[in-house]
Amino acid sequence: MTDLGVGKTPIKELTDAEFEARYNCDRYTATVLSNRMRYIVEHMCTNLLHHAFSLILRDWYDFAATISGPASMNYPMSTVSNSLVLFSGAMEHAVRNAVEEYGPENLKPGDVLMVNDPYRAGNHVNDICFIRPVFHDDQLVTFVALRAHQLDMGGIVPAGFSATKKDVYETGLVIPPMLAYENDQPVQHSFHLIFNNARYCALLLPDMITIYQNLLLGERLMKESFERYGVDAWLGAINYSVDVPAESMAAAIKALPDGVYEGSDLVDADGIDDTLEYEIKVKITKAGERLEVDFSGTSQQARTSINAGVFDTLTATGVALKYVLDPKTAFNSGAYRNVDVVLPGGTICSATPPDGPVFLYWEAAQPVLLAIFKALEPAVGENAVGGDYGSLSIHNGHGVLPDGTPWVTVAQCGGEHGPWGATKSGDADSYGGFYMANNLDPATEAIESELPIVVLRKEYVPDTAGVGYNRGGASVLRDSMYLTEAHHTSSPVHTKRSSGAGVHGGKDGRNGATWLFSAEGGFDVAQRKDLIPVLDPEAYRQSTPVSGMLDPDTKAIDVEKGEYFWFGANPLWHTKSNDVFRYITCGGGGWGNPYTREPERVLRDVRDEYVSIEAAARDFGVIITGDPQKDPEGLSIDEAATDARRAELRNAGMA
Amino acid sequence: MTDGPSVAPGLSVEREDVSEDELRELGVDTSGAPASDFKRYPVLSEGGWYIVIKNQKTMETVHRKKWTLLGPIKLVTDGLHIA
Repeated sequence: MTDLGVGKTPIKELTDAEFEARYNCDRYTATVLSNRMRYIVEHMCTNLLHHAFSLILRDWYDFAATISGPASMNYPMSTVSNSLVLFSGAMEHAVRNAVEEYGPENLKPGDVLMVNDPYRAGNHVNDICFIRPVFHDDQLVTFVALRAHQLDMGGIVPAGFSATKKDVYETGLVIPPMLAYENDQPVQHSFHLIFNNARYCALLLPDMITIYQNLLLGERLMKESFERYGVDAWLGAINYSVDVPAESMAAAIKALPDGVYEGSDLVDADGIDDTLEYEIKVKITKAGERLEVDFSGTSQQARTSINAGVFDTLTATGVALKYVLDPKTAFNSGAYRNVDVVLPGGTICSATPPDGPVFLYWEAAQPVLLAIFKALEPAVGENAVGGDYGSLSIHNGHGVLPDGTPWVTVAQCGGEHGPWGATKSGDADSYGGFYMANNLDPATEAIESELPIVVLRKEYVPDTAGVGYNRGGASVLRDSMYLTEAHHTSSPVHTKRSSGAGVHGGKDGRNGATWLFSAEGGFDVAQRKDLIPVLDPEAYRQSTPVSGMLDPDTKAIDVEKGEYFWFGANPLWHTKSNDVFRYITCGGGGWGNPYTREPERVLRDVRDEYVSIEAAARDFGVIITGDPQKDPEGLSIDEAATDARRAELRNAGMA
Repeated sequence: MTDGPSVAPGLSVEREDVSEDELRELGVDTSGAPASDFKRYPVLSEGGWYIVIKNQKTMETVHRKKWTLLGPIKLVTDGLHIA
């Protein structure tokens, strides 16, 4: 049979001589250099975070750095930074594809290559991948790459975030692999190409210079390592770094029962109309140490910019497998060694140009991850992970200040942050980036000081978390009031069903939704000097729904009997001063049987307003007495009533 | 009264038959399995796109060859000859 590298002696079983023969250095050196590589990418990212001007970099951490080996090794990606996972999975291929198309033989010391084409390199056009070839004595030894979201890349929407763009020509400027720097000088025509097409260039230019400086930082630190340990040891350590997660993933796969596992997830609609839902289907075949992950049957590509590219889907696959199978070793290209992804071109998670536009690629990639979670749930048992809030429900507002200064929000005032699903380890957090991000949350102070926005509410919604022995995270509600006239794109594309799937006997989190409250004829917060109520259904009657399963009369969330309000009904919202957008994310999924949750933990949830007294009795079978609003520390458990309630539930076959 | 939404049609990867002659030419040891057990199709994995031949009963890969960088994705500029 063909030798695919499977079945090699495990690293831990190698003798010192065998280790040295395989990796060109001893174990200690390989470990030092592997850690050194992580230090280098983290140092680069920290430096960019501290010096960036653009809020999407400074406040969101929307970038990632990686290290890859040379062409002779097929560009193994040994190291990824702790920032945006969505980037790092695709960057193995971004580096390979860009360098191969440009020609590795054409690269010289002092060059920086760049590429942003989603179909060549993953992600979307705003995410330019800058690649620095690092040489030692005229030998191209390695690549350091920094991919960073640029605030704008042209296209029909300022800052780009929209689910209704119809083709690649509307999404923005596509940059094939080309030089940004040559001989350590900026290539003038490359920068002009970008700045003649993109908005907000006064922010883009200094950030690009900072990115370049951080590539130089990475290069300098690598060259120090070449000098001290030698190039052979460096390259050996790259192989060692990718072999470790390859081995651990193979072991995790081997531990699964052989078989076929299937799952799916749905995207509500695209931006054309609400007549089509899009299904991501996955069939995972496990045999021995290998997995085949087949997306055949997945819906054709969407008609607007909610598609993902093939490398985004590969990222989602790898991240999902790391979560449920092998969470303890580093994520890099080695994680895929025993995994084959079967992916037809032209689906919603493998879009093709020009009619399969890719911009909100995570809205298709996250369902890929959730479909894999669902498929593997029966195989992984208690290691199953509940679904998270799923969709960024991204909001993008823009306008002009009275003095003529343009302003733009990017992913600050929608449903971009929210809850995770529970695991065997405990309750889920309620506020973070979704599973494929690892971002910062823009500070309220930063938003309010730089933009004509007041953040009115940013809080958890009671009784929205998926219940379970371990509770999912609660939905996040955010009210943002715009002080000037503005235009907005709002993209909550996953509200029809909750993304927060419960696992291992846990229940789903509640669906999210989005509304616009106009000050004129709706709810004028500034004039009333009061906030818009959250739980009173009547408060929603004067709203304009943006997306969600809502009661058509009150417009409050009604998951069981409500009707679907489609996010694309208004591709560009126009608001007056003091209008408010409200976003509620989906809740996170629960883990385990909720009726076995210790009553003391339910009491704490009631005290902290994750769970109401009514839901404690209904969903957990725990009877709490007292008033969580007026005397939260005076709440108590009625133990006799709880025993009776849980017995009643058991007798009814519900517990 | 309007119908509810439908699910957009799905697409699938075609798994091609492989003949005994092809397997022999590639030097594949089939361990006695008939050629009908084997299929050829593209996969994306560590290192990029490959065309693989796998035994569909055991999922063992018996042949693996690098494919194009972008696999099934065609760029709008593919086929454009700029002299």
